[in-house]
Amino acid sequence: MSALGQRLQRWFHSRVPRTDTLALTQRNVYILPTRAGAMLALTLLVLLVASINYQLNLGYLLTFLLAGATVVGMHVCHGNLRGIVLHLSPPAAVHAGQAVVLDVQLTSERKRARYGLGLGVIGVDAAHTPLAWTDVPAQSSARVQVSWPAPQRGLHAIPPIQAQTLFPLGTFRVWTVWRPAAQVLVYPAPEAAPPALPAGSSEPGSAGSARQQDSGEFDGVRAYRRGDPQKTVVWKKAAQAFAAGRDDLVSRDALSSQRQQLWLDHAQCGHSALEARLSRLTAWVLMAERLGLDYGLRLPGRELPPSQGATHQARCLEALALA
Amino acid sequence: MKVLLQQLATVRSAGAAARNAQSNTATAARTATLPRDARDTLFLLGVIGWVVLLQIGHIPWWCTALTAAVLGWRSVLTLRGRPLPGWAWRVGLLALTLGATWLTHRTLLGRDAGVTLIVVLLALKTLELRARRDAFVVFFLGFFTLLTHFFYSQSLLTAAGILIALLGLLTALVNAHMPVGRPPLLQAARTAATMTALGAPIMLVLFLLFPRMAPLWGLPNDGMTGRSGLSAQMRVGQVAQLALDDSVALRVRFDGAPPAQRDLYFRGPVLSDFDGVEWRPLRSAFPASMALQAELVVSGPGLRYEVTMEPHNRPWLFLLEAAVTAPEVPRTEAYMTPDLQWLTRRPMSELVRYRAESFTDFRHGPLRPTVALQDHLELPPGFNPRTLMLAQQLRREIGAGPAYGLALVETVLERLRTGGYTYTLQPGVYGQHTADEFWFDRREGFCEHIASSFVILMRAMDIPARIVTGYQGGELNSVDGYWTVRQQDAHAWAEVWLQGRGWVRVDPTSAVAPGRTGTLERLRAPEGLFTGAMRTLSPDMAARVRAVWEAVNNRWNQWVLNYSQGKQLDLLKRLGFSSPSWTDLATVLMAVLALVSLMGAGWTLWERRQHDPWLRLLDRARQRLSALGVVDAQQMTPRTLARQVQQRFGDTDASRRLSDWLIRLEAQRYSRDSPLTLATLRREYQQLVWPRPGHP
Repeated sequence: MSALGQRLQRWFHSRVPRTDTLALTQRNVYILPTRAGAMLALTLLVLLVASINYQLNLGYLLTFLLAGATVVGMHVCHGNLRGIVLHLSPPAAVHAGQAVVLDVQLTSERKRARYGLGLGVIGVDAAHTPLAWTDVPAQSSARVQVSWPAPQRGLHAIPPIQAQTLFPLGTFRVWTVWRPAAQVLVYPAPEAAPPALPAGSSEPGSAGSARQQDSGEFDGVRAYRRGDPQKTVVWKKAAQAFAAGRDDLVSRDALSSQRQQLWLDHAQCGHSALEARLSRLTAWVLMAERLGLDYGLRLPGRELPPSQGATHQARCLEALALA
Repeated sequence: MKVLLQQLATVRSAGAAARNAQSNTATAARTATLPRDARDTLFLLGVIGWVVLLQIGHIPWWCTALTAAVLGWRSVLTLRGRPLPGWAWRVGLLALTLGATWLTHRTLLGRDAGVTLIVVLLALKTLELRARRDAFVVFFLGFFTLLTHFFYSQSLLTAAGILIALLGLLTALVNAHMPVGRPPLLQAARTAATMTALGAPIMLVLFLLFPRMAPLWGLPNDGMTGRSGLSAQMRVGQVAQLALDDSVALRVRFDGAPPAQRDLYFRGPVLSDFDGVEWRPLRSAFPASMALQAELVVSGPGLRYEVTMEPHNRPWLFLLEAAVTAPEVPRTEAYMTPDLQWLTRRPMSELVRYRAESFTDFRHGPLRPTVALQDHLELPPGFNPRTLMLAQQLRREIGAGPAYGLALVETVLERLRTGGYTYTLQPGVYGQHTADEFWFDRREGFCEHIASSFVILMRAMDIPARIVTGYQGGELNSVDGYWTVRQQDAHAWAEVWLQGRGWVRVDPTSAVAPGRTGTLERLRAPEGLFTGAMRTLSPDMAARVRAVWEAVNNRWNQWVLNYSQGKQLDLLKRLGFSSPSWTDLATVLMAVLALVSLMGAGWTLWERRQHDPWLRLLDRARQRLSALGVVDAQQMTPRTLARQVQQRFGDTDASRRLSDWLIRLEAQRYSRDSPLTLATLRREYQQLVWPRPGHP
C-alpha cells in the first residue's frame, strides 16, 4: 500500500469512535467487490456478449440468473456481518514479545446462522494479521480469539480490529473497522537467563515491612544455593514446583529469627540500560513470586514495599511496564 | 484471505487423514468420514462431471474420454491423499488436446473447437487447484461451459440440466466460503438455492427489458451445423430419414378454424433440375427476362395464422400455400421466389415466429405456354427407358384432345390407385432407373419415389412438371390448440402445368395411400422398448403425456426462446408507450432498477425496525430518560428505571405515572397473564408527561 494510502487509512481509522461493544449497522459496515468479484463481472460480460452474438435467449437467462444470484449474494454478504454485536472482554496483560489475546464475543439475534466471519487486528503498517474464523449460530453468540503480537511494554490502546466476511460467493468483501476502548498492559519481557535473586537483607523490625511478625515461628525461604544442607530444603514447595514442571528448590533460611527482606532494586541489578534493567527486574519479580518470597520493588521515584501474591506481582509488573 | 478455498487447494495436507480414512471400510462409509478438503474437492469434481456430461453429445469422443480420465484421476488422487501431478503433465495433456482438436476440427478457433477446448481446460484446471485463484478460474470456466451448451440446444430439458449444474457450481462456491468446521453440503446448497430463487426476479426483469440487439460482430457462420431438416436436394432415401424423425418443425396457430387436412401444404424448396439421381432447384439457362414469373392470383377468404419455426439454418420460411403478402420476420425480411417459395435474407439459425396470411384458393404460373416452361420438361438421357415407353403408350391412348394434359394426369393417378402400388417407409435401395423400378418392379415407395416417378412420367409425356417439397399435415395439440408439424411430416408432391390453369398441385402419394394426406395416418417408425410398452399399456395415456409435454415445450418456445426485440417493444406498448424504442427500453430498465434500489433502502429501514418491538419501546423510554439525565439508563431494567424516576423526579403525578408505566411494561413481558398489549403500552407512552430535565 502506498504511503498516501496508509495515511488515508490511518486517518480513516482514527475517525472510528472507540467502544468495547460495537453493534454493526448499515453505518459502519463497508462493502467492496473483491478480485474474484471483478473476475465474475468479466465472466458475466463474456456470457452476455456470447448470448448477444449467438442470439441465445437461454444464454441471456443464464447470464441474468447468475447476475441476479450475485446481486443477492451481495446482500447476503452484507447481511452476514450487519446486525452482529461485537464485544471485547478486557484483555489480560502480557509480556512484551508475547501475543495479546483479544477475546471477542459475537452476538447475533438473527434467526439465520452466519458463516465465515473472520476477525483480525489491523497492524500499524496496515498489514493484516491472519484472521480468526468463526460461524455464529442463529440467535446465539460465538467467541473468537484474536491474537496480536504485543508491542513494547507500556499501556497500549488496542489497534483497530477488522471483522470481515466473504460469504457466500467471495465476490464481495464486507468488513468493519472496530476500535475497542479497552487498553492492554504490556509488561517488559523477562530476561531470558537472569542471574539468581539478590540476597535478602535483614532489616530488623523495619517499619516499612509490609508484614509484621505475629508469632515466633517464621519461615524465611530463599532460592536453593549450592551447599545448602538437605534438611533446609522446603520439600513441600519443591514438590509443587516439580508438579508444575520446574526444578527450583527452595531452602529455609537458616536461623531466620529476623525477617529477610528481598528488595529488587533497579539501581542494583547489574545493568545500565533502562530496558535491560526492567527486563531483569521483571524476571526477578516472576522468580520471587514463584518461589513464594516476599519481595519489594524499587524503581526511580517509586517503591513498592515487600509482599507477595498475585496482586502484588501484578502491581510490581505494572510499575515496571509503566516505568 | 488465503485461508479460504484452501480446502480446495491443499489436498496435500489432507494426506494423512485421507490415508486413515482409506482403510478397508466401504466407500459409502468412507465418504461420511472424508476430511473436509477431500469431500469438497470430490463434490466439485462431481459438479464438473455433470457439466461435461451435458456436453457429451457435442464434443468428440476423445474429449469425453480424456475429460473422464482426468476427473477420475483427480478423484483418486483426492481419495488417496496423493499430491497433484506436476506441470509437465498438464502441459503434456494440453498439447495433446490442442493436437487432437486440430485433427478433429481442423482449427483451434470457431465454435465447436472452442467448446472442445473449454471442456478439456475445465477438466485440466482441476489438476491445478492450488490457490484461491485457481478455484475461481474453475468456477468461471464452469459457468462459461454451461453457456456453450446452448449453442446446440435450448430446450426445456437442457435448461433444467443447466439449472442443476448452476446450482451445483454455486453450492461449491458457497461451501468454499464456509471456512469453519465441516458444514454439511446441504447447508451450502440451501443458501445457493435461496440466492438463485431470490435472483430469479432480477433475471426476469433483465430478461424482459435488456435491449435485444443484433450480433456485435459478424454472425457466427457455424451457428447451426448438423441440424436435420429438409434439404435443398432430393435423393432417393433422403426424406425417409426425416420420416423417422418426430422432432418438431413448425408450430402453427390459426386465428380461426384450421383449414382441411388436405389443404395443409407448407411449401418449401421447389425442385426442377433432375440429373437422373438427384433433384435440385431450377438453374435456368434462360435470361431473367424470359424466366417464369409467379403470377399468383388468390381468391376467397384469407387464412391468418402464426408460425413458430424451429431453426433449420436455411433461409426458408414455410408458409401455407399460397401467401401473397410477406410475413414479418424478426431481424430480416422475407421475399417470394417465382416458384412461390418464401425466403429470408439470412439463414434461420434460431427459433423464429412470424405471422402470415394464406389463401387456399389460388392460381399461379402462366396460363399460356411460354418458352421457360421448357425447363420443366428436361429429362436426362439414358435413364428410365421403360417409363419413357409407358409415356409414349399413354399419350397414344389419350390422344391430343383439348384437355389431354388433365386427362393424362387423371390416367396416371388412376394407375397409382389401382395398379397395386403401396406406400412404405422401407422401399429398399433403388438402382439407376428409379422411376422404372417404381412403376414396374417394386411398385412401392414413399412420397419421394412416388413424386419423382410421377414427375418423370409427366415430363416424358411433355407435360411440364416439377417437385415441391415441404411439410404436409400436422397434428392438433389438444392441450394448447397449437398445430404441430413434425419432421416426419416432410413431404414431396408434384406440380404440373396445364394450359389455361397454370401450375396445379398434384399429390400422387395421396393416390397411392389416401390416408397419408387425407386423415394423416402415419406409418409408424419402429418404436423403442419403452414407448412401445407405454403405447401397448395405455395408448391414450401415451398420447396425452406427449401432448402435455409438447404444449409445455411450446410455451417455453413462445415465451422464452422467441422473446425478441419485437416482443420487448410490444411489452412497452402494453405499458403505455405509444411508439416504443430502444431508449424507452433503457428508460424502463433504469426506472425498474431505481425502484428496486428504493425498495431495498426501504427494506433496510424496515429490517432495522425488525428488532423485538418490546425492546424497541423500552429503548425509546431509555433514550428519553438518558436525555433527562438518568445515568446508565441503557443498562437498566424497567423496574430499576422506575425506581430511578421516583428518586430523581420526586413524587409528582407525572413521575408516578411514568414509573407506573415502566412497571407495567415489565409486567407485559414477564408476568404470566398480563392483559396488556404492546399497542396499549405504546399508546400510553405517547400520552406520558415527561418530567423536565434539570428540575429534580
